[in-house]
Amino acid sequence: MSDLAANPALERRASGRGLLIAGAALVAVAGALVPFWTTGAPFLLMLASQAVIAAILALSLDLLTGNTGLLSFGHAAWFGFGAYVAGLLAKLVTPEMLIVVPTTVIAACLVAAVTGAVLVRQIGKTFAILTLALSQIMFALVFVASDITGGEDGLQGVPVMTVLGQPVVQAQTWYWLLYGVLLAALAASLHIRRSPLGRAWLSIRENAERARFIGIDVNGLKLLAFVMSAGLGALAGALLALFNGAASPDLLSWFESGKILMFVVLGGVGTLVGPVLGGIVFTFAEHYVSSLTSAWLIYFGGLFILIVIVAPGGIFGVLGHAWRRMQGQGR
Amino acid sequence: MLAASLAVNGVVLGSVLLMCSLGLTLIYGVGRIVNFAHGALFSLGAMAGVWLSGAGLPFWLTLILAPLGVGLVGVVLDWAILARIRHRPMVDSLLLTFGLALLITGVLYELGGRNVQILPVPSQLEGIVSVGGLTLPIYRIFVSLLAVALTAALLLFLRNSTWGLRVRAANDDPEMGACLGIDRGRLMHSVVGISAALAAAAGVAGAPIFTAFATVGDKILILAFMTVILGGLGSLRGAVVAAYAVGLIIVFGEGYFGGQLALMALFLLVMAMLIKWPRGFFGEGRTE
Repeated sequence: MSDLAANPALERRASGRGLLIAGAALVAVAGALVPFWTTGAPFLLMLASQAVIAAILALSLDLLTGNTGLLSFGHAAWFGFGAYVAGLLAKLVTPEMLIVVPTTVIAACLVAAVTGAVLVRQIGKTFAILTLALSQIMFALVFVASDITGGEDGLQGVPVMTVLGQPVVQAQTWYWLLYGVLLAALAASLHIRRSPLGRAWLSIRENAERARFIGIDVNGLKLLAFVMSAGLGALAGALLALFNGAASPDLLSWFESGKILMFVVLGGVGTLVGPVLGGIVFTFAEHYVSSLTSAWLIYFGGLFILIVIVAPGGIFGVLGHAWRRMQGQGR
Repeated sequence: MLAASLAVNGVVLGSVLLMCSLGLTLIYGVGRIVNFAHGALFSLGAMAGVWLSGAGLPFWLTLILAPLGVGLVGVVLDWAILARIRHRPMVDSLLLTFGLALLITGVLYELGGRNVQILPVPSQLEGIVSVGGLTLPIYRIFVSLLAVALTAALLLFLRNSTWGLRVRAANDDPEMGACLGIDRGRLMHSVVGISAALAAAAGVAGAPIFTAFATVGDKILILAFMTVILGGLGSLRGAVVAAYAVGLIIVFGEGYFGGQLALMALFLLVMAMLIKWPRGFFGEGRTE
């Protein structure tokens, strides 16, 4: 929706925007109330928490892909990196969340800055292949260091998290914590999108050559997007490891990367809100479909193909299209 | 002694990679598509080999029928799916082939690919030969020779046939090729078909060595990608050299340092290559 600001039809749609903001606020509040609806179904609340983590993860990939057009096939690298680093820190150093999580994010940003310096110079397909390779290397690292990471069995026995010394045990508290992180990350992303930085990113996505001609530091900004995306991805991973009390090498598999990409494509690349919805919808759908049939990978792959061919804009693209049409008729 | 036998294994892995990366290179050259489903086609070939030989067919027939079948699957996939996004941005083709890879893997899971299956070495190729104090398994030599023969055949065909002329023309300058009446859409069907058949041939021939399961091609896919980047995207001779380089690096790394470290060393090498020579060994890869 942020595209509206550049649109001469903006004023016409001002009332529509008010409606949108009210709707978004309503959805946000409804999301916060989830623990009250699910008092009798602890499993549902857990699933909702997982969905929120998936949403943060999807948002982190969209920060890169949606903003700069760089397509990462190995985003699980950062998710798994965050999970393992946070899990190990909590286990070996301190279970204090306010220490573990920032340290993890900073570590991920540092690694991303070093690898990204080479990666972001690559054109689209080479970048896609190399990010895939990077995630495979992180996957391999888990097995190289299997005496501390647990190898195939995964990292077990991550202690209960504390915030300022208070242990976080209640499922509701966890949910609100995760949900707060999601809202903050989404608000920050939307804000950046409107800022000069966001504009510069979009110009790179649309035409990197022209962006360079008007004096934008293309590689520098791509690297910034890569690092931020990796940092938020690692944050999602850290939260997952602390929430589950465990991390498994599956988090780093290329299948996981595909799933994250699916969240983003399903929701609509570059819409920020779309991938968040995609992550939530997909997590629930995955749970219910996989409880019905073991062949869900077939449906998953088929859906992926169908979306790319029929609706490249994803759910949010289709909804946005319908919304604009409705607006057009109302005027 | 260890070094010599590692060298042989490196050549075998290189040969398998060669068959896969030639297909990747061709599909990229003609269609500008980076095919993430290539590893799944490799797995499909390996699994098809297991099914056919399980049905009682002799190994030789399997080695011919499985690639033919998978080649047909490739043609159908290109006609039914890849052709739908010919004029879309490159990103869509990456996503689409990724979805295809998941779909094929899912199908293979349902058809018994969850478990590791063994394809026995045919009795004529069992055993070992001794060459100058080295003992070499005959089957591994056979796989290498097969890969070399198929590669040579493909390169000769590309050089001397009308089809090859069209492929090279579409590779060099798609627009000019189209102006000269080359139907890129139909050419792509054949290219994807042949590439899929090559990947499947590698899968079947490799199955007695690497075994067969639904995701056996995943590691091969990563290595084949590293190969085409090292050789330069779209460069055939670059791919030939790079395939053996990657095969040797991986096998020697596994022999001396452990498999996962070898993969990391390869990745670092590829990164270094990209900084210094982004167009690959022969400087003819594409960077656009």
